[in-house]
Amino acid sequence: MEIKIEKLSKRFGNNHVLKDINLVIEKNKSTIILGKSGCGKSVLLKLIYQLIKNDEGLILYDKKKYVDIDKFGLLFQYGALFDSLTIAENIAFTDFIDDKKNYRNKVINSLNEVGLNYDIYNKYPSEISGGMKKRVALARAIYKKPKIIFLDEPTTGLDPINSDIINELIIRIIRKKKMTAVTITHDIQSALKTGDNFHFLNDGIVEDSGTCKNLLKSNNKILSDFLQGVKKLQRNK
Amino acid sequence: MHLIESIGKTVLNIVRAIGKLALFIFLFFHFLFKPKFYFKNNLKYFTGIFLSSIPIIALTGIFSGMVLALQSFTGFSRFSADSAIPNIVVLTLTRELGPVLTGLMISARVGSAIAAEIATMRVTEQIDALKTLNTNYFNYLVTPRVLSLTLAMPIFVTIVDFIGVMGGYLVSVYRLGFNENMYLVNTIEFLSFSDYFSGVVKATVFGFIISIISCYNGLYSEKGAFGVGSATTNAVVLSSILILVFNYFLTEIFF
Repeated sequence: MEIKIEKLSKRFGNNHVLKDINLVIEKNKSTIILGKSGCGKSVLLKLIYQLIKNDEGLILYDKKKYVDIDKFGLLFQYGALFDSLTIAENIAFTDFIDDKKNYRNKVINSLNEVGLNYDIYNKYPSEISGGMKKRVALARAIYKKPKIIFLDEPTTGLDPINSDIINELIIRIIRKKKMTAVTITHDIQSALKTGDNFHFLNDGIVEDSGTCKNLLKSNNKILSDFLQGVKKLQRNK
Repeated sequence: MHLIESIGKTVLNIVRAIGKLALFIFLFFHFLFKPKFYFKNNLKYFTGIFLSSIPIIALTGIFSGMVLALQSFTGFSRFSADSAIPNIVVLTLTRELGPVLTGLMISARVGSAIAAEIATMRVTEQIDALKTLNTNYFNYLVTPRVLSLTLAMPIFVTIVDFIGVMGGYLVSVYRLGFNENMYLVNTIEFLSFSDYFSGVVKATVFGFIISIISCYNGLYSEKGAFGVGSATTNAVVLSSILILVFNYFLTEIFF
């Protein structure tokens, strides 16, 4: 599925969060939306997912204005697993609340796809580690076989090893299932590893767009400062 | 100028909150008749609320009945009217103390739990996750809790009434030396259906108030640990105050 965004704007009271956004999310490609915290990335994701309404502009899904959100999957920044449900009930949530009984094999397949096994099937989210929670959340996001997967800061809160595992998983799943992926992040390492196309968002405006190569050679001062700031931080660490 | 400004802001905030709550109640009735319905969830909450509340309301009932019998005796024995104690105990419990005390206890036990759970779900993006999974979050979170508590409260009050009368009976017979048969006969003969019914109606209204206020505070809580704490406190304080206010108006109706 291709998503085309034209002149998109969103305000919350006097706060103009997104200003005249134009971008294209290409079919079967991994698109990364980069930017500092508070630049409007999450609002843009919620608008694309139709969780909130835009003030101005258009979002076209394969040239149509509306889309069934069953075609979308979302990996939340901190997983957002339901505490009161088991891992299996979390993954197969839509089947579970519809009282469907035959989700067992589908859940086991989803668990295997994210590198987890049956051991945690009946456990609760509080009984597994942060890295596992993220993988369970990813399994829930792909359970319905969505056409587009949205990833909200997929490596936040993870150690470098688990971040790498999540990045590898994302790449593998996107390629295997031929999905379109939209990732919002400020983790450059993760972005460079998983992305095909990049859009740099700053203060509600798309400052620069292109491939990884274009972005790294960009003359845009704000983008260069952002990339150098991240590099400096990594060197200091 | 500052004083006028702050009064104006407070009035606006109160009006805004009342409007938001009214809209929330409207949404509840709107979604009550709009699919999808999550029947398994309704049953799960009803069972959960029922089982977790029984010990608390049983204790509330028995001690209220026992104290009521002792205090009534202190007053009524002064003008030789102690034979009225069974009547006083049953009337006060069914019409007044049963629904009000049960309402306040349930507000602290169940209302706080509802507000804290929903507020935590909001803070940890679980409510956003429900939306992304194409789930009617109102029917999944609010409707089962409001329906369960509104339906459970009349049962709770019936239990409190019964256990409370038994508490009064125990104190009157074994502490104050009443004749056991006379006590029971006086209780049963004096109690009319309208006394019990007025208590049940009060309980149903209180159940609705507690659950709707708790869900509202949870769903519109501020972010962070402070938000969860405030939502819980506001839910208990507001529902307790509303129980006392509505109790007066309902008593006027059944007077």
